[in-house]
Order: sequence, then structure tokens, then C-alpha cells
Amino acid sequence: MEAWQACLDGKSGIVNAPTGSGKTYSLFIPALLEAIREEKVTGKTPERGLRIIWITPIRALTKEIEASANRAIEGLGLNWRVEVRSGDTSTSRRAKQIRNPPELLITTPESLHLLLATKDYPKFFRHLRTMVVDEWHELLGSKRGVQVELGLSRLKSILPGLKIWGISATIGNMDEAVQVLMGDWQHSDKVKLIKSGIKKKIEVVSVLPDEIETLPWAGHLGIKMLEKVVPILKESESTLIFCNTRAQCEIWYQKLLEADPGLAGQMAMHHSSISRELRTWVEEALHEGKLKAVVCTSSLDLGVDFRPVGTIVQIGSPKGVARFIQRAGRSGHQPGALSKIYFVPTHSLELAEAAALREAIEKQEIEQRIPFVRSFDVLVQYLVTLAVSEGFYPDQVFKEVKSTFCYNSISEAEFEWCLNFIWTGGDSLAAYDEFRKVDVIGGMYRVTDKGVALRHRLSMGTIVSDQMMQIKYVSGRRIGNVEEWFITQLKPGDIFWFAGRSLELVRVREMTVQVRKSKSKTGKVPSWQGGRMPLSSELTAVLRAKFDQVVNGDLEDPELKKLLPLFELQEQRSILPSRGEFLIEYFKSKEGHHLLFYPFEGRFVHEGLGAILAYRISKLVPISFSIAMNDYGLELLSPNEIPIEKALEANLLSLENLSEDIRASVNAVEMARRRFRDIASISGLVFKGFPGREKKDRHLQSSSQLFFGVFSDFEPDNLLLLQAYDEAMNLQLEEGRLRLALKRINEQKIRLSYPGSATPFAFPIMVDRLRERLTSEKLEDRIRRMKLEVIKS
Amino acid sequence: MGKTIQTKLRGQTLILSSDKAIFWKEESILVLADVHLGKAMHFRKAGIPVPLSAGSDNLQRMTDLITGFSPLRIIFLGDLFHSFHNEAWEQFGEWRAGHSVIDMDLVIGNHDILPEKEFSRFDIDVYDPHLVHGPFVFSHEPSDEQISGKYHMAGHIHPAVRLRDQGRQRFKLPCFWFGTHQGLLPAFGNFTGTAIIEPALEDQVFVTTSNEVIDVSTLL
Repeated sequence: MEAWQACLDGKSGIVNAPTGSGKTYSLFIPALLEAIREEKVTGKTPERGLRIIWITPIRALTKEIEASANRAIEGLGLNWRVEVRSGDTSTSRRAKQIRNPPELLITTPESLHLLLATKDYPKFFRHLRTMVVDEWHELLGSKRGVQVELGLSRLKSILPGLKIWGISATIGNMDEAVQVLMGDWQHSDKVKLIKSGIKKKIEVVSVLPDEIETLPWAGHLGIKMLEKVVPILKESESTLIFCNTRAQCEIWYQKLLEADPGLAGQMAMHHSSISRELRTWVEEALHEGKLKAVVCTSSLDLGVDFRPVGTIVQIGSPKGVARFIQRAGRSGHQPGALSKIYFVPTHSLELAEAAALREAIEKQEIEQRIPFVRSFDVLVQYLVTLAVSEGFYPDQVFKEVKSTFCYNSISEAEFEWCLNFIWTGGDSLAAYDEFRKVDVIGGMYRVTDKGVALRHRLSMGTIVSDQMMQIKYVSGRRIGNVEEWFITQLKPGDIFWFAGRSLELVRVREMTVQVRKSKSKTGKVPSWQGGRMPLSSELTAVLRAKFDQVVNGDLEDPELKKLLPLFELQEQRSILPSRGEFLIEYFKSKEGHHLLFYPFEGRFVHEGLGAILAYRISKLVPISFSIAMNDYGLELLSPNEIPIEKALEANLLSLENLSEDIRASVNAVEMARRRFRDIASISGLVFKGFPGREKKDRHLQSSSQLFFGVFSDFEPDNLLLLQAYDEAMNLQLEEGRLRLALKRINEQKIRLSYPGSATPFAFPIMVDRLRERLTSEKLEDRIRRMKLEVIKS
Repeated sequence: MGKTIQTKLRGQTLILSSDKAIFWKEESILVLADVHLGKAMHFRKAGIPVPLSAGSDNLQRMTDLITGFSPLRIIFLGDLFHSFHNEAWEQFGEWRAGHSVIDMDLVIGNHDILPEKEFSRFDIDVYDPHLVHGPFVFSHEPSDEQISGKYHMAGHIHPAVRLRDQGRQRFKLPCFWFGTHQGLLPAFGNFTGTAIIEPALEDQVFVTTSNEVIDVSTLL
């Protein structure tokens, strides 16, 4: 109701409400009432045209929003039209929408930008009163959020009376979420943050193993707990089983079927590599209550409500509080209903996380979503977008761009660089150079070349996907997509599991993999990359507090009580550190000398920290390390004796020279190269070709890697290249978080322990297969002792 | 001409240069694959802002190879020029005129889309799909077809191999690859990518770094 009033008063802001709390109406009704009021005041029907744009990050949600909007319109007796415009909308439908706009348009950030790439867009938007950005918390931490910021900056400028409203679930940086959406309006008194006050009740139940492994191993995907999960499925009408990776999803699906063949036909799988048609079928079947269970990944985190779903199972650590709440919320949709979520640990230490999650939910310790800043790739794309449609004058657009949160710190010189990038191609115009993208006519930047315009429209967007190959039956029916590198590991006749089916590879044609059904029970499971997220800092903070509870003998949480034998062994072999202590363990085994640190700060921070510590020790003595880490700690392993006491005296954990040491120890080039892949695609450097027109464009194909090399060699101050390094430092390495972690460690008392063998804390890190190396050898010398990867023939 | 390594193939001496070229000693022939001249300009014309300087030292590197090896003949294994006509072709023409005593041949590659008269303008003999000389067949694309028992030399692939160090570190380096019946040259051009190949145990592989060419066959 507060939102109704604020909206009718012409204010802007954010409504903070959990999913499924009638938030659609909170903003849509006042927009309708506004139109009715206008009609009453003026005495005539307002001119027809677009009045509200509703932006949602997920196409799957558009239908639901459309339905609720239509109900509200009917209820108020208006004759408004509601339409959806997304990547799935046909070209003719889209053209019709431009000629005859609906009153309410439901769309995505990408489609909003495509509208800005349309001729006469100011005319299309001229009656727009309200812009609603749904699920803003989802967009905020991504470049799609930047797209929204840029789109709004343009619309605010051409429509002075525009109201902007966001809808967001609770996040750790709610005020920042408002600032980012509002841009230069953030200090104006028309901006409001409205909290719904509705809190969902969530019950966290850990599925406890009968016996605790005192030396936990992280490798078995939790399958041991299978027999405890089957009865949970039996109890509930419909259950969602969330896995963290697609591979884990495939394996759980397969094993559940084996454990309870009765589930056949009543259980399905849902992950982002499965074809759209198959996923839609699963979603509809869930909706209609036809499915007893669905094994899924984050692909079902968001989206429409499935009312029949009564129970949620989470396999393994969800890595963050917000994600866990979101998943728990996929059950119990009736207002006031309890959402029950079962947590299934994949190794025993994860039980402590369950206790931490419960407390974090209770205290509402929810993660922040860090907005992107200074994303030059998105800016470059946006400038071309404006040049493709109406053209733009730099002074005007500079003002608008600078008004956003993302580009608040951009300098005139940097903006100039972006302009040159699209006008002269970065270099000063040489006589014979034929660089063509944007022309400058009378001070206005415009695209006149039809090919450039077409290529731009086809490659807009900020979501960059891997090169995917389609999996089809020989008969032609689509099953889904899989990364190219997985298929290259297989040869015809090989069996693999995908979408819950056993498939035999028949042949590979261009970008299509032809398969047939197989009866074989054994096969490879594609292990998709990207499943290794770090624990969030909010969760690690509560987790550290939970360990401290154990030290103080507080075993109220059932999970901690269950873990007691593990803690006892840890204490017996080494030390169980309290809040004020930082544990370091050093011991020798057949493998070599192990040095372990336990900051409990999440994988990424440990990755950076490991490299820095290895570097600092290697400055004291000539030594080489391999480094392993998990979310709890990190290990330096060396064939030689590690002078840990000497290193500690030499301020091993100091904050001094941290930035320099990071640069010297971390393979920043490799990290930046990986970040550059998306940047090159977003900024239009890499063109993937038109569907069906590959032939003509093949001379324009290239890779981001190539550009990374070329810029590094010939244009080292290229802003897109620098952006890649910034992203690597801030997002990949989390330099800020790393600094805070070291600061905290410096306030703790260091406890150096010499256990006789691996401790319960050390074991899961030691068996982790991913290892980094720190060494100062010359590349040529290394090549001489490395292994070549070969085909065994 | 960079650092070199010498190898024997079909009784002939081949000198592999870290600058991604082969010098066939007995015949005094320099072999280069996939130079991709004009590519940067071609991209720029389509609105893709490759720095103009990318690939600009290709001609200088070719001059250095000529100075180092004094070849009588150069065979380009395709993709010499990656564009329709642009200014970079004229620059190549000037370079060609400066080395007029050297015979130059081109086996046409898939990116060589210039009309044939452009090649004859600069005194370059064109072959399609291959050129046979001594025990070798030179072509752009590799082929499993055997031509009267001769050894096949090709480009097109831009071959590279992955080297794996202990732990997680992996490197990708351009390479020369010699199988039983055919071999591949690394792409010479600076503005070119690479494709990973997976050699068989009996193959010979030499990787190039910016300073050296290294035999890694023993690491297989």
C-alpha cells in the first residue's frame, strides 16, 4: 500500500519484497490508477501508447507477469493491452508492437537496448510514465544491470516525468541497490526504499549421516546419503533437489532412479544445458503437479512458482545465504506457509555450514550484490546502439552516462577514447585506413553502413556463452547443448550420460552431435566447468563463529553435535582454533612438506592468499610449491623443508607491500585473459557470424585470445584490456576481501602446530586435485620437462 | 631468422626457425604458411578496431628471414593475403619489388580471395590446389590423400600443442608437426590464432616461443 501511494505521488524507488508476495500488483495497480485519475482530471481518455515497461531478467517469468497484469486490468475494467517482447518474440510481432505499442510491455534488458537501436525510438517511448525493473537484485551484480542503468539514463533524459521503480529481494547492500538504479536521482527526495516487512519462515533440516567421517573427503558428491534422501521424496507431493553442478545433477538423477526404480516417469531433470523445449516441458509438468521430483541446478533458482512443490533438498554447500533462501523459497507458496529445506552434506565438514546457514537466515546476514563499475565494454556497445538508431551528440550522452552509478567516475578522456574506438578504430585516422563503424556527420555520431548496423543488432547483449554444440538424435530431435571441449574427448561409439539418458555418440557434423539411445549403464558424465563458486564472506563469517561455538562447548546445533568426533580428533592431533586464534599446521608426509593455513574465507581469497604466501616464502629461500585450497583453508606443499618460523618472523602475513606482492605472485595475465573473453564479445571485437550466413563472414572470424595478444603487444593502454585486469583483481581475486582477511588474521594470535599426520581440517584440502604452482623458472626450461597432451593411438 | 633447429625428412635437410618458417637447405627454398597480410585492415573496414600496427611487422620478419637464409625461392602455403584488395597489398607489392631476384610461389588458401591478376602483378606464381617439388607436395590444407608416395606439407591449421606442467598449469604454444605422411607449419602471421592439435606418439613436434624452437617429441 505504501508503494501505491509513493507511486501515485510520482516518486521513484525500490520495493523490497520476497518473491511471491504480490509485488507485481504493488506497482502495477497504482500505474493503472494513475491512468484512471488522469482520465477523470482531463475528462478524456489518455492518448493510446506505451505507458509502462516492465523489465524482468528471466523470460520464463514474463508469462506470469502478463497473466497477473491482465487480471488487474480486467478487475479495474480498463481496455489496456499487455504484450511481451523478448528474444522469443517473432519479427512480425515486434514490428507490430512498434507501430501500435501496447500500454504495458514486458521485456528484458537486452530487448530494451534493442528498442534503443530502433529508428524513431523517442516516438515509441513518448507516453512512457513508469519503468519497473523486476528482480533488480538479480540484475544488479551483472553487466545486464549496467545495461539497465544505461537504458534508464537515456529514457530519463528524453522523458523528464519518468518514474523508475525496482523490485528487489533482500540483499546485504540494499541502499547501494537503490543508488545504482536511481543514478543521479539518488539524493533526491522523490526516491524511496519501501520494505514489505514480509519475512518467510524457513526451516533448515540437515540430513545427518549415521556415522561421521573424521577425515572428510570432498570427492563423492554426497551419493552416500542417497538412501536418506529417497524417503524424503516419498513424504512430499513434489520435491526439487538442487545440485551445484550439472554433472552432480546428472549423477544424482541416475543414482536416484537406481535406488528407487518406481520414480521412473515421475522424476525429471532440469539444467541449463538441456534444450529449451525439454525444460519447458519439465516446468509445465511441475506446475501441474505431475512430477514427484526434479533434480536441478541453479536453472530453477528463479522463475515461476510451482505450487505443488512442498519440499526442497539441497545437495552440498549452497555457498551463499541468499541462494539458500531463494531455493528454500521455491516451496511453501501460500502466504505464511513454512518453507522447508533439507540440507544434504557431501562431506562431513559441510554440516557445520548447515548450522551457519540456519543462523545467517535467522539474523538476515545476506550477501551483497556488487555492482559493476567502469564497464567500458558495455559502454562501447551502448554508444554504437545509439549510433545505429537515431545517432547521438557526445556532449549530451556524456552527461547522461556520467549520471549513472557505473560510469560516475569516467573522465572526459576515457569517454573520448570510447568515441574514438568506434569512430577511428582507436588509431588516428591514417590516409589509407578504411576503418568503418560509426561516422561523424555534423558532430553527430551515426552508423550509416547497413552491414555494420546489422552485425551490431545481432551481437548485442552482455551474456556471453561458451561455444556450444547441439546434441540431437539421429532422427533430428534436439536434446540439449554441451560444451565443445567435452565432445572432443569422445569418439564415435562412446557412451555418455546427458539429460538423464544414456547416449551413444554416432557422429559429429559441424556443430551438431548426433546420438542414439544406449542401454549401457556406464558412461561418462560431462563435467561442465564453472561449478566451483567460493563461499560468500557473509557465510564464512557465520561459519567461523560456529567453530568458535564448538571451542566454547556450545553444541546446541544438531550438526555441530554430530561433528563432535571430528572436532575431537582435530584437537587431539593439532589445535581447534578459537575466535581469537589463527591456526597454521606444518607436517611431513611421503608427499613432502605440508604447510596449512585456515582463514575460512572462501576459495577465491585462499587462491590469492596461497600465491602470496608462497611468493613471500620463496623470497627467503629458493623453494618451489604447489598450492591447493578449499573454502576453509589452503595448503602449500613442497619437496623441501619450509622455513615457516623464519617466515613468520619476517612478517609472512603482513599487509605491507600487499599490492606489489599480489602482482608479483598471481598469474594476473592468465586471469585477465579469461575475463577478456566476455569483454571482447560485448564490445563487438569478436563477431560470431550470422546464422545461415557463415560463408560470407568467415573472413571476419577471430578469437578474443587473439585480440588480447594484439592489444597487449600493440596497444597496452587499451581501456578494454585494462578493464580485464581490473575485473580479474576485483572480481576474480577479490583483492578487497583478501585485504580484509589479512587484516583480521593480523589481529589474531597465531597458533603454529606440528601434527604427526593429516588433521580433519587438512585432509579435504590435501586431496583436492586442483593445484597451482609458484615458480620462477624460465618458460623454455619448463617446456623441457613438461608433458605434452597426446591422443593415445 | 630467430633461433633454429635442424631436422631430416625424406633425406632432405629442413631448418626450422623460431620465427615460424622452414628453410629447405638443399633447394634453398623458404617455406611460410598463413601470413594473413591485410587482415587487420580487413577487420577495421568492417568496424572491428584491431590496432593498425597488429601484423605490421610481418614484412620486416620476412625480410629478416631472407637476410638470414638468402633463399632462391619462397613458397607461401596459402592465406598470404586475408582480404579483398586493400592498402596492405600495395605495401606487400613494394616489399616484393625489393626482393625481385627471389622466385615467389603461392599455393592458394581459403582466405586468398584476391583475383589472380593481383598475384601476377607482383610476379607471384599461383598454384591450386598444390605444388609438387622433389619428395614434397606443398598445399594449403592438409590432406590424407597420398600423391605418389610424396610427403605432404601444409598450413591452414595454425597448429599448436598444449603442454602440461605439474599442477594445473597448461601452456599453448604454436608448433611444427611432422607425422608419417604429412607435416604442418605454424602460422607465420602475427595477427592469427592457433588450434590445438593432438599428436600421436610417433609424431615429431617442435614448439616455438618468441626466442626458441624446441623439440618436444621426447615429451610425448
